[in-house]
Amino acid sequence: MAQRVEHLVTIFTFTGLCLTGLPQKFYSKGWAQWMVDHLGGIDQTRWIHRAIGLLFVSATVVHLAGALNALLSRRSGFTMVLNKKDFQDCVLQLRYYLGLTDEHPRYDRFDYKQKWEYWSLFLGNIIMGLSGLMLFFPTVFARVLPGQIIPAAKVAHSNEGLMAFFVIAVWHIYNAHLQPDVFPFDGSIFTGRISRERMLHEHPLELARIEGRAPDTHDGHRGHDAERRVV
Amino acid sequence: MLKPSLLPLVALLAFTASGARAGIPAEQDDCLGCHGSDPSMTMDLPSGEKLPLYVDTARFAQSVHGEMLRCADCHSDKTGYPHHSKPFKSRRDVTVAYYEQCKSCHFANYTKTLDGVHFAVLAKGNQNAALCVDCHGSHDITHPTEPRARISATCAHCHQKESAVYVKSVHGKALAEQNPDVPVCTDCHRAHDIADPRDGKLSMRTPEICGRCHTNAKLMGKYGLSTHVVDTYLADFHGMSASLQRKTKGGPKGMVAAVCTDCHGVHDILSAKDPGSRTVKANLVQTCRKCHPGANENFPAAWLSHYQPSWNKASLVYGVQLFYKFLIPFILGSLALQIALHLWRVVVNR
Repeated sequence: MAQRVEHLVTIFTFTGLCLTGLPQKFYSKGWAQWMVDHLGGIDQTRWIHRAIGLLFVSATVVHLAGALNALLSRRSGFTMVLNKKDFQDCVLQLRYYLGLTDEHPRYDRFDYKQKWEYWSLFLGNIIMGLSGLMLFFPTVFARVLPGQIIPAAKVAHSNEGLMAFFVIAVWHIYNAHLQPDVFPFDGSIFTGRISRERMLHEHPLELARIEGRAPDTHDGHRGHDAERRVV
Repeated sequence: MLKPSLLPLVALLAFTASGARAGIPAEQDDCLGCHGSDPSMTMDLPSGEKLPLYVDTARFAQSVHGEMLRCADCHSDKTGYPHHSKPFKSRRDVTVAYYEQCKSCHFANYTKTLDGVHFAVLAKGNQNAALCVDCHGSHDITHPTEPRARISATCAHCHQKESAVYVKSVHGKALAEQNPDVPVCTDCHRAHDIADPRDGKLSMRTPEICGRCHTNAKLMGKYGLSTHVVDTYLADFHGMSASLQRKTKGGPKGMVAAVCTDCHGVHDILSAKDPGSRTVKANLVQTCRKCHPGANENFPAAWLSHYQPSWNKASLVYGVQLFYKFLIPFILGSLALQIALHLWRVVVNR
């Protein structure tokens, strides 16, 4: 349940930040000025952006705290941690796409694309949050850091934000909505349900583990498995 | 053979002509017969002032209108002798009553003044607001921009405080040395449609106003000044904010982002190398504190001083810029490629 709320919060805050942030980056364009005007002027746009930003940062902190807590209380293992298999999977997946092999990588709970997106978003959140706070409170940060950190934070915030927008707009939307296997919408994040066919295709190792067909080769997958029902 | 209609004129001319007079059109009405002869000629006004009625013929002849206008072209209510004056209370009343005569010829500039701050003040009932004749003169009108320094001197008649500050500025000092490159009052404030500088709209326009000269490579080259001051400003937080605030309907609400004049000053702009300048390194933190009260000595470095980031200037900013210049195309390219490969494989599998 918490993860569904978390995802919903992320969707709305991310969209809100893009809507109020991108017009600031492209301020010389007509559409940006139109948007800023309809948001009530640049000052109001900025306050909205900051408020959503603080919510976004809070959500990240809550997520981090939850993940640490789960790890420390051993309810969950490092299912998201990158390992050697992810790199092998990536190479194999690309070879498969290119037609160099007919062997499709066999994924566990999260495939390397999902892990990459998770860590990109996580790292991105940290960069965006930190640089955003620097731009929010420039004089405070300049007291302890060289002043040049402020324009550097602006460049980082602006570029990282644009990149995040494109990654979500292109990669996430493709993988979770447009790609032929899940089109038009992969609801599993909210319903917790996924078809057996898709599980077999996309997460065979996890399926095997859930069904108790194969030995539990990885450490610590016990925590969240109950949430995912295979139908 | 003279046309019959000109005959009375010739008679008048013959009657009044003397060697000192050059035969200017103004003499055709023979007003100067009375008004050009006695320098002490005045009229008492109810205010207790004396209205001078003498016109220096030689001076009028040298004015821009000397070879063009007759007295009645402006004094159109005076059609003969004796003429009765309107009941003016004061000398200012006379000026206000007559200044609109200019518009019958100078309609475009008169129309502009209707948008100006002087007219707005006049319309509120302040008769001291500058009228055409206050800046241009009346019988002694000569070209207002010759020499160029005359423009600032004209405004200084009323705006003494501003003028005293301006003459000490980098622009004012150069003007005193007859440098034609520097701005005089009207270059920033305009001449006829002078905007009210108090509502902030003029300062919002300073990137454009200052930029007219400060992006001119030929002009700036003469003084070794950068022409990137405007684009570096616009790329920065202040420039971006001010641009958006300027475009906000109903004008900006709350604090307006710094424009040129907020850091460099208005009439007191000094060279950025001048030790007294607000933008010289030693004074910069004070300038920042006007808007950022918590700023310490580190803070001014947050402003790149109109430099574009490079390895030598602001290397950290440049490094981050460069990093993303490569990272964004790499990441997005890889993702797009993977999507394309995936789709291709899906098609092949079918």
